[in-house]
Amino acid sequence: MDKAELILNLKKQIIQYVNILDYKPDQIGDDLPLFGPDGLGLDSIDALELSVMLEREYDIKLTNPAEARKIFVSVNSIAEYIISTKSSE
Amino acid sequence: MYITDLRAISPQATFDAGGLQDHPTSHSGNKYNAQEPDYAGLIAPILLRRMGKSIRMGIGAGLPLIQNQRNIDAIIIGSSEGGLEDCIKFLNQIVLYKEGTLTPTNFVQSTPNALAGSLALMSRNTCYNITHVHKGNAFENALIDAMLLFEEGKADTILAGNVEEISDYNFNIETLAGQFKVEDSTSENLLESGTPGTVCGEGASMFILKDKADDYLARIVDVAQISYPTEEEILGLIMDTLKKNNLRPEDIDTLILGKSGDSHTDVWYTAVNRKLFQEQSIFTFKDLVGEYPTSIAFATYLAACLISGRNIGWKLILPPKPIKHILIYNHYKGVQHGLILMSI
Repeated sequence: MDKAELILNLKKQIIQYVNILDYKPDQIGDDLPLFGPDGLGLDSIDALELSVMLEREYDIKLTNPAEARKIFVSVNSIAEYIISTKSSE
Repeated sequence: MYITDLRAISPQATFDAGGLQDHPTSHSGNKYNAQEPDYAGLIAPILLRRMGKSIRMGIGAGLPLIQNQRNIDAIIIGSSEGGLEDCIKFLNQIVLYKEGTLTPTNFVQSTPNALAGSLALMSRNTCYNITHVHKGNAFENALIDAMLLFEEGKADTILAGNVEEISDYNFNIETLAGQFKVEDSTSENLLESGTPGTVCGEGASMFILKDKADDYLARIVDVAQISYPTEEEILGLIMDTLKKNNLRPEDIDTLILGKSGDSHTDVWYTAVNRKLFQEQSIFTFKDLVGEYPTSIAFATYLAACLISGRNIGWKLILPPKPIKHILIYNHYKGVQHGLILMSI
């Protein structure tokens, strides 16, 4: 899967997992901050949902909360983390 | 204790009408789904996206009441099942994902006390907060809790209410157990169906209760409950409750019965009606909202509407004389029985 395809899939999955069904994938910019008032506005419960999403959809288990903070910055940063994790396996 | 404000979300258009409509909604089939209002402006979209139906209905009915009050000393909810749909989704996920990492939202939404907690968080209320989960007597216990708080001088104003939602999973299980009718019925012929089972309902009724009030809608005089009674024990409980409040059966001018159209369990209402209350006006409510464990909360809403003269709908013909005392008698599955005595 190339990165563009991965990013599109991630956007669809994020919409489902955090239940923002009135959003379309193209409304979520690749580098839009996922958390905070200047971005998508997700919160700490959503962070748990995203962790579950990574585990179920990509078989990646996050164990370090500090690590999660760096990964869940944007769709792009999640995609990069998935690609680097899968290539090192 | 006094009811000074109330709201309900139910299978009738109670939220928008502020009572029952002139022409209540007629339901067909075996599920009477609640008519939910537009929650925009009431619940922030960021919170609403995560809420299950029971939380939505409870917040929708309860939060405006809290916002209209200066101080709330307690939030007391009666709910047998809580967010049943999310609860069963969560249980299914445990199996599906082999007890691995689970998504938290379904769990957060599914506990019965999620509503009382959400109401407190959204209104920044840090006072007494409790949920009673005694199945078919959960709402009666919530009211008794409120009465005790008033008696002990620990509260002046309380939000009390109920919530229950229809879950497809649970509906199927209960149907197999004979709780719901297998044939179709309508609101008009439900109570005369003469067949086993009833119809499934849902809703949230919320009340502002005060210990003292000059301006009020209705008064809750007494609450009583009993489980696994005999017919003699039910009749005795009714007589004792009336006597305790210096009333006789003939002082009750209106009776609200929880008749559900279930030929197996409506016999209780027939006995009470025949043996104690032959002259009274009789009202029913499960043909309007269906059966659920805390449905007596809707009967309380109906009684408050009747006493305060709010719109009460086409099928409920007012008695010729003013209403002074209403007795609500309801049971759940013929096991848990509750009485609520209300007055002007």
